[in-house]
Amino acid sequence: MDYEALKEQWSDIEDRDGIRLSWNTFPSSRMEASRLVVPIGALYTPLKEKTDGTPLLTYEPVTCKPPCRAVLNPFCQVDMRARIWICPFCLQRNNLPPHYKDISESAIPPELHPSNTTIEYRLSRPAPTPPIFVFVVDTCQEEDSLKALKDSIIMSLQLLPAHALVGLITYGTMAQVHEIGYTECAKSYVFRGNKDYTAKQVQEMLGLIQAPGARPGMPPQQQPGRPAAPVGGAQARFLLPIQQCEVQLTNALEGLQRDPWPVANDKRAIRCTGVALSVAVGLLETSFQNSGARVMLFTGGPATEGPGMVVGPELKEQIRSHHDIDRDNIKYYKKALKFYDALAKRTAHNGHVIDVFAGCLDQVGLLEMKGLPNSTGGHMILTDSFTSSMYKQSFAKIFDTDAEGNLAMGFNASLEVLTTKELKVTGLIGHAVSLNKKSSSVGETECGIGNTCSWKMCGIDPAASYSLYFEIAGQGGPAAASMQQGPQKGLIQFLTYYQHSAGQYHLRVTTVGRNMSGPSGDPAIAQSFDQEAAAVLMSRIAVFKAEVDDGPDVLRWVDRMLIRLCARFAEYRKDDPTSFRLEKNFTLYPQFMFHLRRSQFLQIFNNSPDETAFNRHVLDHEDVGNSLVMIQPTLDSYTFDQDGAVPVLLDSTSIQPQTILLLDTFFHILIFHGETMAEWRKAGYQEMEGYENFKELLETPKEDARELIQDRFPLPRFIVCDAGGSQARFLLAKLNPSTTHTSSSYGGVAQSAQTIFTDDVSLQTFMDHLMKLAVSGTS
Amino acid sequence: GAAPVGAASYGQPASYGGQQVPYGAPGSADPNATPIAQPAGYGQPQYGQPQPLYEAPQQGYPVQTPGVAGVTQQFGQMGVGAQPLPAAQQPGLQGGLAPAQRLNPLVPVDISAQGAPFHVSDLDLPPPPIILPPNSSVTPSPHSNCPPKYVRSTLNAMPTTSSLLKKSKLPFALIIQPYATLHDAEDDVPVQYDQVIARCRRCRTYINPFASFLDHSHRWRCNMCNLTNDVPQSFDWDGAKQQSVDRWQRPELNYAVSEFVAPQEYMVRAPQPLIYLFIFDVSYAGVTSGLLATSARCILESLDRIPNTDRRTRLGFMAVDSSLHYFQIPRDEGESSDSRMLVVSDLDEPFLPTPDDLLVNLSEARSNIETFLGRLQGMFASTQNSGSAMGSALRAGHKLISHVGGKMVVLSASLPNTGFGKLDMREDKKLLGTSKENALLQTQNSFYKSFAVECSKTQVSIDMFLFSAQYQDVASLSNLPRYTGGQTYFYPAWNAARTEDAIKFGTEFSDYLSAEIGLEAVLRVRTTTGLRPSAFYGNFFNRSSDLCAFPAMPRDQAYVVEIAIDESVTKAFACLQVGVLHTTCNGERRIRVLTLSIPTTQNLAEVYASADQQAITAYFAHKAVERALSSGLDAARDAVQAKMIELLQTYRKELGGGNMGGGGLQFPGNLRGMPMLFLGLMKNLGLRKSAQIPTDLRSAALCLLSTLPLPLLMQYIYPRLYSLHDMPDDAGLPHPDHGAIVMPPALNLTSGNLVPYGLYLLDDGQTQFLWLGRDAVPALINDVFGTGDKNALKQGKTSLPVLDSEMNERVRAVVEKSRDHRGKGCGSVIVPPLYLIREDGEPSLRLWAQTLLVEDRADQGVSGAQFLGVLREKVVS
Ligand SMILES: [Zn+2]
Ligand SMILES: [Zn+2]
Repeated sequence: MDYEALKEQWSDIEDRDGIRLSWNTFPSSRMEASRLVVPIGALYTPLKEKTDGTPLLTYEPVTCKPPCRAVLNPFCQVDMRARIWICPFCLQRNNLPPHYKDISESAIPPELHPSNTTIEYRLSRPAPTPPIFVFVVDTCQEEDSLKALKDSIIMSLQLLPAHALVGLITYGTMAQVHEIGYTECAKSYVFRGNKDYTAKQVQEMLGLIQAPGARPGMPPQQQPGRPAAPVGGAQARFLLPIQQCEVQLTNALEGLQRDPWPVANDKRAIRCTGVALSVAVGLLETSFQNSGARVMLFTGGPATEGPGMVVGPELKEQIRSHHDIDRDNIKYYKKALKFYDALAKRTAHNGHVIDVFAGCLDQVGLLEMKGLPNSTGGHMILTDSFTSSMYKQSFAKIFDTDAEGNLAMGFNASLEVLTTKELKVTGLIGHAVSLNKKSSSVGETECGIGNTCSWKMCGIDPAASYSLYFEIAGQGGPAAASMQQGPQKGLIQFLTYYQHSAGQYHLRVTTVGRNMSGPSGDPAIAQSFDQEAAAVLMSRIAVFKAEVDDGPDVLRWVDRMLIRLCARFAEYRKDDPTSFRLEKNFTLYPQFMFHLRRSQFLQIFNNSPDETAFNRHVLDHEDVGNSLVMIQPTLDSYTFDQDGAVPVLLDSTSIQPQTILLLDTFFHILIFHGETMAEWRKAGYQEMEGYENFKELLETPKEDARELIQDRFPLPRFIVCDAGGSQARFLLAKLNPSTTHTSSSYGGVAQSAQTIFTDDVSLQTFMDHLMKLAVSGTS
Repeated sequence: GAAPVGAASYGQPASYGGQQVPYGAPGSADPNATPIAQPAGYGQPQYGQPQPLYEAPQQGYPVQTPGVAGVTQQFGQMGVGAQPLPAAQQPGLQGGLAPAQRLNPLVPVDISAQGAPFHVSDLDLPPPPIILPPNSSVTPSPHSNCPPKYVRSTLNAMPTTSSLLKKSKLPFALIIQPYATLHDAEDDVPVQYDQVIARCRRCRTYINPFASFLDHSHRWRCNMCNLTNDVPQSFDWDGAKQQSVDRWQRPELNYAVSEFVAPQEYMVRAPQPLIYLFIFDVSYAGVTSGLLATSARCILESLDRIPNTDRRTRLGFMAVDSSLHYFQIPRDEGESSDSRMLVVSDLDEPFLPTPDDLLVNLSEARSNIETFLGRLQGMFASTQNSGSAMGSALRAGHKLISHVGGKMVVLSASLPNTGFGKLDMREDKKLLGTSKENALLQTQNSFYKSFAVECSKTQVSIDMFLFSAQYQDVASLSNLPRYTGGQTYFYPAWNAARTEDAIKFGTEFSDYLSAEIGLEAVLRVRTTTGLRPSAFYGNFFNRSSDLCAFPAMPRDQAYVVEIAIDESVTKAFACLQVGVLHTTCNGERRIRVLTLSIPTTQNLAEVYASADQQAITAYFAHKAVERALSSGLDAARDAVQAKMIELLQTYRKELGGGNMGGGGLQFPGNLRGMPMLFLGLMKNLGLRKSAQIPTDLRSAALCLLSTLPLPLLMQYIYPRLYSLHDMPDDAGLPHPDHGAIVMPPALNLTSGNLVPYGLYLLDDGQTQFLWLGRDAVPALINDVFGTGDKNALKQGKTSLPVLDSEMNERVRAVVEKSRDHRGKGCGSVIVPPLYLIREDGEPSLRLWAQTLLVEDRADQGVSGAQFLGVLREKVVS
């Protein structure tokens, strides 16, 4: 099969199973595997919405005996007459349940149909409660921003199912839990902003469990026959179905005022984000453990008080930069990180999600808080203000519904991986936590979150993608060869169990089977390399490493891995760089790595720590396609006498006076008018008769941009700029500096091309180095 | 003299046919009754009529009952100085006294039963007159010396030396009651508005009627330290009116009690507004007892009575169970009129949940406050919370008002069982009556004192309204008012479902809210050189050696200041000046000055002859409370009895002379009530030996003993007993001259005075008992209660029906008049509840009422006669 056909096939599989693998043929020995450089990995989108839907079965899945528990799938051998199936994972024989008695070659149940490698079960077990939404609102904001925020939340109430439970916590100098179930007057419980409340304290203080002072059996006050417990639990007081409390909650939201405590001119507002979150988590913890719930944090600035504070209230004290963190000279960073990480762990344990929406020109401490969404499968949205459309539309998008009108979000999910004996899972990278489940599928090494075959995603949405890594366990040889019936398949089964927003638990099963390679040196392995998937899988590892390791170390690792891969799979004569050739399915890979090295994911110093946290968060959520855009943005060119967009190199040479460029970095969508284009536009030609084509030329990239924005989450920042304008820097930063101020002296570059002031090496230089090193055999 | 027998005389059997036992017949009712004192009437006092022992100023001497002349005659026959003394008509007014009779003469009497014993009506007499030398005061004003309703000295003639004072064994102390009423309008004290305040440069005494002018009236001599001071320039000039002022009309030279409006230098800050922060108990007990609803309604209905003439009065509201509830009440003009509740359950270090709207201006938020109060009850109607974090609430409240100062009004039916100042249910019935009971009277958590002192420093005063049906630890909680100029009001087992409870509290609370209290006050006593205030008693904090601080000064409390004689006083009379710098609840900084002059003497007899038995008893009541709290009840009682013995012995040794013989016991006539007052003190609820008195009741009683104005204190120690079934014709009716209800003659407190067919009112000022004898005739019952069937009468807490019967009307008038504080010369918000006691009814009620019969033998206490016997034994032997 040629490369294009393979790509087609992988794309079909991605559409059906939501999965892309770095290697689509598995090496059959450990030795072979170790030489692949890029690990066997999968980028999996468990709840991917398929164009023609995922088959939904409304009966319980047939599973293998414990402890295997694999679910019946198209790769199983079924003896129709004996009504027995053999589990490919553990090779145990299982009886088909009685209601499968009518099974035959012509009447097989959907889960056995070869095309149904992904199938979904709606289980009979109902969710313990409807989905819960707790809004945690920062009131230290300008009036207009607070107003916009209130409006957006009030609007979201319309988007939620009527039975969903909602609650409100507001904070500023202090945190307040609004008792929206109380109708006598507006009532809220107030927590100091500078104290680290334990879960038990929060629950006692909200009256959800008995405080020691009011314990039954207190002699003087206890009335015989009277329970001492407060009336109603959290569900009756703080978290109520929308249909029941909409008026009360809307009133509470509309009545929200700016934090009343005075703020001096040289001070930041006192903002106790940490306490507010901890109270929110504590509130849910009592009554709703392992019920789907989202804590949605809307913060307008950094925490300046109490646990989790990231900067002091003095304005003259600047919020930390990457350099500060690098030099380890900020007093709050480690403490805050520790606080939020512990909170994240607790929240994840409880099965709840935390989303962070930041509406602030400055940083809010996302870096410190990143564990909250990252561990719980929450969203992170970083915007300048809650008045921005980026915020409003992104927020609204969270409440998108599926075809049946149910919220397109799952809760409290677990993803379990089963493998046939040749394969072992070594870890996962994505917004999940380990469930610490050991099984025979768990590998010895660790990549990402490892040492488990099962992970928990408190929040999961149809776009959420996870990278999973595998190792080869077998030694190859006789065992593999003994199988006579054609090439042996390695199988992986993904079991995603989650609370569907419609109120039932669902199980989605994806079973992936790939051929094991033949004898040592089988070229099928190299041919099965999916460079796009591989680039994304490696990027996630690089970013994962960057979270713990030094930046330069990670870059060296990226380089080393690339050189080794090339040394292994390129064709060349030793020590002759000019002889270097890569197969078609490898050619783009070095370029991806080049851009990855230059990307904001690894080159953090041009961004704020919050932006870095945000960028990395998004990368760890997206599928192969979107991730590639983030790593290597797309650039389209528009000019006269050309039908629509033409992709051009992400290179400074693409900047020409008579073109319009459309750059998509995933986070930004930028339209750039070349010098002449800009002049004409400023002269107003587009409004003049006879220049309709110019007008159309100006419009086309805008329409294309709108198209791109439509499905994007979070909504990208949209920039329109001209050559020479200050905003153009966003474009220049992404371009390959083929014409830098250092290279220009060599000449040979079109005069009209844009010169980029950078010390970065160009792609060409990079490739030269790569080839040299790859062929030297020293790596 | 015999009173005329009225038509509706219930004592006459003839009036009601079929009555077998002729009650009221001489000698038949009470075998102990003294025949000669028992005229042919009904229910006469046993000891005969009041026996004045010295001539009192005419207008101060109520000739209430017939028979005075006869008794005086009796004295004459006894030869104990029956001649009416030359009248010192008014303190400060000089009569032509012979040198030998310069001061009150000693009139010894036999205070034993066979002599001229104490009669309760003695207590209605004014103290021995203060007889000053001629021209002591600078103006001839009849008001130049301080009237006893403001300041009473234990000695109205003071020894010139410390050794003579020591020898006398009498205390020298002032009983100070800066205010005589709850409202200024009821007791006009002249005010000097011109802000010209003449004070002594050296001792800071305010110029007063006993100062003298010299040097053509340009200078004045301080009557305390003799320093000559310049008279202020504007002393005779009214700057506002631009005209001269007649200095001799200045209030401070004419009135011993007057006020100055203070100029700027008397303020450390602008006068604070009146602030009331109400703290409601919203626990299960607080809500189900109806306390929350009643308090809220009462405040709502009293909003117009809360002083607010300057429209600066601010109110705040908090509620407490195991959490603190704050209420934000918006101004009437604001966007929203809805109050919001902010709950704080973090009790570790209470904090304010918001900087806004927790204290609101009564005028500016009146309408929203009303709405809030109307809804308050509903907010907690379904509570099941049994916690009370009152200590934390107080700290939070303090945080809320400490920047201004003000009053925290606590309304609680619970023991604080969580948070700061958490208290344990420590009362154990087995400990009552034992030496271990003492510990229960002391505070169990030092928070209550240290916090109170903190409050005092920030001008925050606390009043405790306590309502629990169970142990609430009044002993601990009462520390809060004690050091902050507040008061402890105790309504044991109060329940709004009982109308009487609701009305009593409602009335008292409303009056309480209306009282024109003083704010950020300090009291200091200045004296003639040689004297020195040495000890202070009452509800305040002693900030420095001689300064008593009152974040708020109530108008219904008295204070005791003991005076030491450091150097011999050579003057003919000494002066003592009480200065109270305060802010009125209308935002005016004022100084109330009370100046008292007392003659000095080197003669012990004159000291005794001018001693004030009521003031002395008040002094020892404070001492006894102090002793009870420090050393225990036994020690306190023993000290009281020992003092009585000591005084009798001293008198006998130093002044006794004649042998009384025959069981008699001699003592000055002006002090003859002292043994019964002391006995009453020892038998008071607060001090009585008993294993039956719940600690909270005792503690509350001790609070009363140490705060009550003197007239109420005397009644609390020696209650009033009136016979109602045989009232004189004019009793219970308005007096033809001044319209005040005429009271029947009071009776001494002995069951010998109770006939079985009688109806009595027994009143200690805190509780009133209507005692219905077991043989009371149906007609009497019917006339008073509207039913002839006494079994149909509700025993215990009750109120009298309003009937169209003269008897009912008169009884009600007497009961009402007995509650009237103003008539007694003091302010108080207390409305004693009325209990109906049937002699043959509920025994516990009867026993309770009987504890008030001080002269009876009861429980573990001796009778009056026994007590006198004991005293005599100790003195004579
Ligand atoms: Zn199996
Ligand atoms: Zn002086």
